[in-house]
Amino acid sequence: MICVPLGALFAGSVARLRAAGLDVSPLEDAGRRLVVDAPDGTRYITTRPSDVPTYVQAGAADLGIVGKDVLRESAPDVYELLDLDFGHCRMVYATLAGEDPTPGALAHLGAVRVATKYPAIARRHFAATGRAVDVVKVNGSVEVAPLVGLAHGIVDLTATGRTLVENGLVERETILDASARLIANRVSHKILAGSVDTLIARLEQGLE
Amino acid sequence: MTGPSENELVDSAPLPDGARDVLPIESAELAAIEASLRATFAGFGYREVRTPLLEFAGVMDRAQEGGLGRAFRLFDDHGQVLVVRPDLTIPVARLVAGRLGDHPGPLRVSYIAECLRPPPSGRAERLEERQAGIELVGLSGPAADAEVVSLLVGALTALGIDDLKVALGDVSLTRAVLDGVGVSESDQTRLQHAVRARNLVAWRRIAASLTLDDDARRLVAELPTVRGGSDVLRALAVAVPAAAPQCETLLTTLDLLEAHGTADYVMTDLGVLRDWGYYSGIVVEAYAPGVGRPVAVGGRYDGLIGRFGMARPAVGAAVLLDRVHEAIAARNGRAQFIDGVVLAGGIEIDVAAARALRSAGVVVVGVSDHPGVADALAAAEGWRYVARRVDAGFTIADRTDSRTVTCANLMEGLRSLRS
Repeated sequence: MICVPLGALFAGSVARLRAAGLDVSPLEDAGRRLVVDAPDGTRYITTRPSDVPTYVQAGAADLGIVGKDVLRESAPDVYELLDLDFGHCRMVYATLAGEDPTPGALAHLGAVRVATKYPAIARRHFAATGRAVDVVKVNGSVEVAPLVGLAHGIVDLTATGRTLVENGLVERETILDASARLIANRVSHKILAGSVDTLIARLEQGLE
Repeated sequence: MTGPSENELVDSAPLPDGARDVLPIESAELAAIEASLRATFAGFGYREVRTPLLEFAGVMDRAQEGGLGRAFRLFDDHGQVLVVRPDLTIPVARLVAGRLGDHPGPLRVSYIAECLRPPPSGRAERLEERQAGIELVGLSGPAADAEVVSLLVGALTALGIDDLKVALGDVSLTRAVLDGVGVSESDQTRLQHAVRARNLVAWRRIAASLTLDDDARRLVAELPTVRGGSDVLRALAVAVPAAAPQCETLLTTLDLLEAHGTADYVMTDLGVLRDWGYYSGIVVEAYAPGVGRPVAVGGRYDGLIGRFGMARPAVGAAVLLDRVHEAIAARNGRAQFIDGVVLAGGIEIDVAAARALRSAGVVVVGVSDHPGVADALAAAEGWRYVARRVDAGFTIADRTDSRTVTCANLMEGLRSLRS
């Protein structure tokens, strides 16, 4: 049972699994079905990316494909087995172009206000660099926050940086280089050790 | 009956995050599991101990570098910091080093109790975890390790978990291999962090960055995915001669498991290290298919007891009762009927008959004779029989098959229903 993320990582996930020799045609033709069975007996579950670790941690799926950003944010109790080397993007701290408002905010307000979909990552980054932060959790269109004065800056994921530029933002700090990872449930990783090892070997071959 | 008003009632008396009540059916099932575990532990000569719910934080903090992690702390009347036990091995280690310090050894103790940890925010984790554990103190070496692993396998299979798998790692072996190929202490610490986070990608990256020859680097990279039987240990002993004694010790343990008849459940898995600052030898995780987390964990921690008094080697394991229950509940399916009679009209309509039934081992519960009340109670609690007064005697209905008998007295009626 493999949990595959919908959205940006879906196509890459399917391509990697196909390169590993798995029959993923049912997954491609899934339409609106969220659970599909392949002829080789593998069952695929498709979910929102941030739900993949939840399914895998609970054992509802044995394996899953998920971005490192999600793993870092939710810190699930799962095995991280393989860097699948696709879906590369960076978690960055960005503020409006021009003078960086961060030092001023820290000096005068004591803390910098940061809007993000990734509060845990943002908190940890600023704590690790010895700066106080007020994290504002938003669920989308993070880039708007500095434009309208909701926050001094944002912590967000970017692949090309285009959305940042289009919204007048400048990347100030790189927090994390993310890519898609193969994760496994703690118990499945041991009980299905043989088939997990085989799949990893085939995925690795596909990567070369 | 159901409606918004009922929900408001529930919300008006909330529980702390992660806390929950145990209702009668689950409670009875848990009690049966505990009874079975107690019997298995006692059969190996493990004697049960109980430790207090509250301990001094300063004492519990001695157990590990950096002190305890998540725990509820409070102050006593004198301003001393107390901790609600977040763990059971540590209090037992304190007990063994203190009150039982003069025991000639080896000391075999068991416990069944709960420990409490504040759940991390945003996680649906339980606040209380009830564990049934064993500790074998004063013996080092394969015989003690094999005894604890075999007892664990015996206890879990006695509960009906016969598709059990037990993974056996060894912190001392992993350390010996890393020392043997020349991995520095600071790099070992980085590897330790990767293992604790279960991050094998990070482990391989650290391995790739080590200044070792290619063979050694590959060996380190693959170490946490080494698994199998005695063959992998023999190969490792040849590849890293410095680790041969540790490989030999683990091989002896595997031989002893064979003799105990438990080897078929056990696989060597050098990726099972848990927290390797705490463990000093074997590390054990037991899995039941269908339960997403280990149902039992354990290992050897020779350094722990010495932190509370005289140093003594120790190996132990704890069964996590909620997870074992989940494994068993997944197997047994729907609940069974309870052998007992609901008596409409109350016990008082025939106290003598009720006493006779009880002394024959049949439960009798009384309820009013308003229409439907007895059936509702039987359905809610799972009682098998419903009896009610009729002209000359009783009618008894068997809820398993809807048969009904009419009889002069209750005992006779039950007998005919059961025949």
